[in-house]
Amino acid sequence: MFPVCCGSFKEGLLAAAGREKIEGAQRFFIEDLLAAPKLNMTLIILLLGLGVGVLVGLLGIGGGVVLVPAMVYLLGMDQHLAQGTSLFILLPPIGLGALREYWKQGQVDLRAGILCAIGMLLGAYGGSLVALPLASRHLKGLFGCFLVVSAILLWRKAEFEGKPVAAKGESARG
Amino acid sequence: MGKSAGRDTGIFAVACLCGMASGMFGIGGGVLLVPLLALLYGFSQHRAQGTSLVALIPPTGVLALIAYAREDFVSWQTGLLLIPGVFLGGIVGGRLAEKLQPERMRQVFAGILFALGAWQAFSAWRR
Repeated sequence: MFPVCCGSFKEGLLAAAGREKIEGAQRFFIEDLLAAPKLNMTLIILLLGLGVGVLVGLLGIGGGVVLVPAMVYLLGMDQHLAQGTSLFILLPPIGLGALREYWKQGQVDLRAGILCAIGMLLGAYGGSLVALPLASRHLKGLFGCFLVVSAILLWRKAEFEGKPVAAKGESARG
Repeated sequence: MGKSAGRDTGIFAVACLCGMASGMFGIGGGVLLVPLLALLYGFSQHRAQGTSLVALIPPTGVLALIAYAREDFVSWQTGLLLIPGVFLGGIVGGRLAEKLQPERMRQVFAGILFALGAWQAFSAWRR
């Protein structure tokens, strides 16, 4: 919007002003054009964060699994860069607001949660040592496979809700 | 007592596995932790999600992040812009989870993940 109205304003300027002024005005116009997508990008990023946050609360996940592909495809990032940025976003306790809601309902196993936190801290470091030397292309492919596997697990989980006994035999796997 | 220790060890092992995925793929790990807690340890859906959120409160990815940052694989500006949205959205989602039917949501989400993952793997390894 802004560059468009600016454009007509600038056309007026171009018609009225001398040669030097024209160049000055055009440069200004180009700066506007460059600034506008930046603003749009900022807006997209902010909205993306909000959307991912809703999923975090709704599904009790970290959000990285959505953030990484979103940054790769929407923001055009490299796979490694998207993953590093995602880890940065997960640094502050972004799930704290959501956790409060679950805590109020008594739906938290604190002991298991703390154990998981310690295990994940160590595991994550090991995982990063595996990922960093990989070529971006292979990492992207592996990420895709990982998404497929977690999708299947999530789906199984959804089915399992209905019949708790049938899935007992699954405990051997994993 | 012995059984409880066995359960603790098992949960710890599952968490290490989720952590591996977290560091490898730059994710929180909750997406694996939630279904695994439920499938292997019989957590109810809401309890698995609440517990997963506890595990995500401490900065579990900090060691992995340092490793990525050393290779300059972090876009700090984009990250800073995303954080407030994710936090606020998380509160909204937590409220919604009590009202919505989470099973339906999860199946839709699983379907999207499956398609996204298959597409990403295909596009990376085509040629």
